[in-house]
Amino acid sequence: MNKELEHSFVELLEKHQNIVHKVCRLYTNNYDAHNDLFQEITIQLWRAYPKFRGDAKFSTWMYRVGLNTAITLYRKSKRRINTSEFDAVQFKIKAEEYDDTEEQQLKLLYKAVHQLNDIEKALVFLYLEDKNYKEISETMGISEVNARVKMNRVKTKLKTILNP
Amino acid sequence: MDELDLLKKHWQSDGIEDKHLTSKDIYPMLLKKSSSIVKTLFYISVAELIFWILINTLPAFFSDGYNERMAELYGSHISVTVFTILSYVVIVLFIYLLFKSYKNISVTDNAKKLMENILKTRKVIKYYVIYNLIMAFLSMVIGFYYAFQNDPKIKTIFEDPNNTKSIITYIVIVAFTGLFVLIIWLFYKLLYGILLKRLNRNYKELKKLEV
Repeated sequence: MNKELEHSFVELLEKHQNIVHKVCRLYTNNYDAHNDLFQEITIQLWRAYPKFRGDAKFSTWMYRVGLNTAITLYRKSKRRINTSEFDAVQFKIKAEEYDDTEEQQLKLLYKAVHQLNDIEKALVFLYLEDKNYKEISETMGISEVNARVKMNRVKTKLKTILNP
Repeated sequence: MDELDLLKKHWQSDGIEDKHLTSKDIYPMLLKKSSSIVKTLFYISVAELIFWILINTLPAFFSDGYNERMAELYGSHISVTVFTILSYVVIVLFIYLLFKSYKNISVTDNAKKLMENILKTRKVIKYYVIYNLIMAFLSMVIGFYYAFQNDPKIKTIFEDPNNTKSIITYIVIVAFTGLFVLIIWLFYKLLYGILLKRLNRNYKELKKLEV
């Protein structure tokens, strides 16, 4: 692979790295696992990059590769701990931006999202990233109607987790 | 406000500053090796191809006694030649199918398609294993049949109605071969079961959405 390609890739990844970090944040629960998954997604993105045509937005393309790696390709590292041992420190909520109640609510929400299964997390991730149902259905390979139905179910599930 | 909308508000304003990487951090990452399940699946399939090819060909290459014995037992029977050619055709066919299914696996496909393509590859490997296990079992049964037909020593033993011990030995050998084949099969089931547990679970979840 030539240097120019490598340079353009690194530049784009540096700029859009938040997408990958956010995928890692949803699918892992500690520092090492986060870095492991980030590493694997980077490799997958880099391998697929020569075929990236530029007709799609780099960020849109990243969502697909990132989620596919997290849901399907990634083999959990041995260091990874159980999801129930979720570390709230991972989610630093800026206290000055929220009042106490909202901060507490957010922490509980992050914990609840972590209890969802891989597919549900993917839907929540795309929803949080403000993707419309067409994009969600195209990324996941399901129909738009099913994406909508499932998303509503996920919302109900989250409500149940939060208010048992 | 909906719970998810509250989360969305925070999510989008979250810059994850504490994890920010520079290009200097990213460059070395490109040189690291992947540890994806596709890579593991690839290594397992190559190991399986080599393993079964060696099992089938090693005795013929390294043991003169084996070759002589085979010639003595089977002679230049046409079915043996056909069988040998067929087994090589099957190996080439499996290599082609594996290569083709690996080429189809693309991380840029949608989630469902990617999972389907990985599962298709796993199926090709499964059929190769089943083929080899059936062949291993059949070769043993046919081998005994030919031995019974052509080997004068075995023929005398089996023709003796009082020699029940040898018949029991024969049954025990067949039973053990069956057990051996079963154990290998269970080993593969366990191996792929562990490797693809998460993928299977997620694929089922996606398929469930279609019902």
